[in-house]
Amino acid sequence: MSVRAAAATKRQESGTRGLSPDAGQELLQILVDSVKEYAILTLDSKGYVTTWTPAAERLTGYKAEEILGKHFSVFYPEEDVSAGKCERELEQATRDGMVEDEGWHIRKDRSRFWASVAVTALKSKDGTLRGFGTVTRDWTGRRRTEDKFRAFLESAADAVVIVNPKGEIALVNSQTEALFGYSRAELLGEPVEKLIPERFRNQHLGHRSGYLAHPRPRAMGAGLELFATHKDGHEFPVEISLSPVETEEGTMVTSSIRDVTQRRQTEEKVRRQAREIMEMATVPVVQVWEGILLVPLIGMLDSARTQQFMERLLQSLTQTASPVAVIDITGVPTIDTQTAQHLMETIKAVRYIGAEVVLTGVRPVIAQTLVHLGVDLSATTTRASLAAGLRVAFSLLNLHVAAETTA
Amino acid sequence: MNVLGHGEVKITVESDIAVARRAVREVAMQIGFGPTEVARIVTAASELSRNVHKYAGSGVMQWHAIENGSNGGLELRFEDHGPGIADVSEALREGFTTGGGLGMGLPGAKRLMDEMEIQSALGQGTKVVVRKWRRQ
Amino acid sequence: MQSESIAVIKLRNTLLVTMPADPDDSTIAALQERTLEAMSQYDVRGLVLDLSKVEILDSYFARTVSETAQMVGLMGGETIIAGMRPSVAITATELGVTLGKTRTVMSVDRALELAGQPAQGVKAR
Repeated sequence: MSVRAAAATKRQESGTRGLSPDAGQELLQILVDSVKEYAILTLDSKGYVTTWTPAAERLTGYKAEEILGKHFSVFYPEEDVSAGKCERELEQATRDGMVEDEGWHIRKDRSRFWASVAVTALKSKDGTLRGFGTVTRDWTGRRRTEDKFRAFLESAADAVVIVNPKGEIALVNSQTEALFGYSRAELLGEPVEKLIPERFRNQHLGHRSGYLAHPRPRAMGAGLELFATHKDGHEFPVEISLSPVETEEGTMVTSSIRDVTQRRQTEEKVRRQAREIMEMATVPVVQVWEGILLVPLIGMLDSARTQQFMERLLQSLTQTASPVAVIDITGVPTIDTQTAQHLMETIKAVRYIGAEVVLTGVRPVIAQTLVHLGVDLSATTTRASLAAGLRVAFSLLNLHVAAETTA
Repeated sequence: MNVLGHGEVKITVESDIAVARRAVREVAMQIGFGPTEVARIVTAASELSRNVHKYAGSGVMQWHAIENGSNGGLELRFEDHGPGIADVSEALREGFTTGGGLGMGLPGAKRLMDEMEIQSALGQGTKVVVRKWRRQ
Repeated sequence: MQSESIAVIKLRNTLLVTMPADPDDSTIAALQERTLEAMSQYDVRGLVLDLSKVEILDSYFARTVSETAQMVGLMGGETIIAGMRPSVAITATELGVTLGKTRTVMSVDRALELAGQPAQGVKAR
């Protein structure tokens, strides 16, 4: 059936406003002929080409006389034809009224182009199938863009997950599969919350709508520590950047996900080292001689300081293999029960690792307090002044050295 | 192992005490405790598991990685259906002995950890919860 | 888990026992049994207990060490503990355990040197 006839039928059905029938037809014909991007043509009910347009000629290379009466499957690649794609399109169009598809089409010169096709069933008022109208658009450019886009996704270092406005995963790259342990098929169509630990899922729903309200490229969850869930259930820390993409289906959100387990561990290590450096500054351990470490304590010994102090002193003693530790308490103003207890524990611990303690700077008032507290320092060498203490330390060291040489 | 999670060790035979120690060491290290802190936690866990085995015959140790704002920590729970402790405050006093040696190890465990809670009564089993927070 | 066996080695006139990192109760009990066996079998001046690998010392371990040292003492010998780690020393003092009549030194070498010499009036720790 020609366009003219179709147009006439349509006019009968709907009525064209204000134009004479012929003028209307002419306009329609001009429209169809002028449309450059879309090739509009009609087929009969069996799929044979019944009308042709200049745009269709430009698109496929066939002249009208070469193509009229031929079956529209000439536009399709062999593999699609043998798979029955053409029959299926016609069947679907007949059943649903219209079908849209994308796929490769073949030109007269056997070259390919990526086509977006809409096939509409043309029926008369009583429902009889008269034929089909097809609108074909060359989307090769878009296809190449899509391929480029996919290649770009796959080449990305991070896992990329693209989510549709409903929160379902629309696209992932292979890094996502590797990072989360799921195959593509297990993720597509699933809610993105599948990748988040359960306890954060509800919150995330809220965050998603918040983002869609003001979509812009930014990092996700600034200031928060984010976690993701692997297929096997274990969690790992991540950093995520978000980017909105406007599409026909609405605002899609691209998220780029990076596993920062390694980085967190390094950060943790750095933090710990910084803390250790801080501790060194507050509790200095000085090597006054090979084999003798001096710790000048200043201020009160609370639990936290004692712990730091004990650890540092013991560490230093073992590392330097020093047999003598001189602990000077000249700078400790008063001794209360807690300080005394901490001091005793420190001395005991030093002995356990195999070193000896000389306690110096025990002023009269301190000596008094210690006796009153019932602290038993009989097993420890103590001296009032640092100088006297160091003398003892050296003699202990000599004994130590002497013992080694005689053995 | 899921660091931000929980787990448990059943204590039924003597060798389970060592199993509990190993589990606690692994978790404590993953949470980021330093070596001395790990030693304290594991030693406390050993004492408390030993109590379960010695006085109740069997029980369970559960561990939970916990959070307090931005600081992390570890909570250990020891539960048994044994004879129970008649006087908890007595048991917590330094040097308290019920039978043979160093007593129940509760004062020691309390000293090594930051927090301790005990729920027990004669004939009603015992529940001991201890927590340690990372130093900041 | 099976208990690890420990070896008691006779080195000249001393016994040397090296403890593993986290011995279970049966291994700790074996320490005492094997030491006493060896003490009665050989003519030795004492025991060197190498704790350099040990990461945890709980009350049972400490008590066993203390008892063993006491028994060794009763049999005329001396016990020297070598190489205790700082973290173990700290937790041991905080736990409040005692290691009985023992000497403590930093290394096994030093312990063996001392073990070769006559006993010098050991202080209780």
